[in-house]
Amino acid sequence: MSARVRVLYFGAAQEIAGKADEELTAADTASLRRVILDRYPAMRNISFRMALNRTLLKDESDLNDNDLIAILPPFQGG
Amino acid sequence: MCGSIRPLEIKYIRMKNRYLVEGPITPLLISELMTLGNSDSSAGAVSIFIGRVRDDEVNGRRVSAIEYSAYDDMAGKEAEEIVKTVQAAFSDVRMVVIVHSTGVVRAGEASLFIMVTSGHRDHSTRACRHTLEMVKERLPIWKKELF
Repeated sequence: MSARVRVLYFGAAQEIAGKADEELTAADTASLRRVILDRYPAMRNISFRMALNRTLLKDESDLNDNDLIAILPPFQGG
Repeated sequence: MCGSIRPLEIKYIRMKNRYLVEGPITPLLISELMTLGNSDSSAGAVSIFIGRVRDDEVNGRRVSAIEYSAYDDMAGKEAEEIVKTVQAAFSDVRMVVIVHSTGVVRAGEASLFIMVTSGHRDHSTRACRHTLEMVKERLPIWKKELF
């Protein structure tokens, strides 16, 4: 089952996407990653992790409607 | 969510949440932050780390400022976890304060403030360094150099 999720882009990912957020459809985080890389091939040049509902993902996960996914390039605080 | 995070008890500066402030961490904010925990007179040690923006040279151009962006909700949640982790690891620690800038901070201005109080110096100094490393590793914050 595909889910409609909200995707937030941060840092370099936001510059590549040219937007802060959008809605995308995918069944799980692995397929969402593929959707994003297909839409924005330049994302292949940066590394990024994903957060699901504000928690950093350690493993791939199924998605549900209205989940909040964040695309997180390497952190640079401090 | 950030809404559930208790704000710092400071009077003069408005912060985005307990851990994030828009713009530089000014001397006025630093002086206010340093009063936190003053009521705990058994905390004899206070360790502070202040991170400032460097005017590094990047590809022949001098950095004049850094624009920070954050995933505010997640940053608040992660900072809460860092504070809990540090307090669990260092039994003598009384208070951990973390404040990071978002938005534009000019070279020479402060963008990070960490303060740890404890009964004695050993835990405050070690916990302050530990907090700093966790902030760099775990807070979802990004920077863009401005020239």
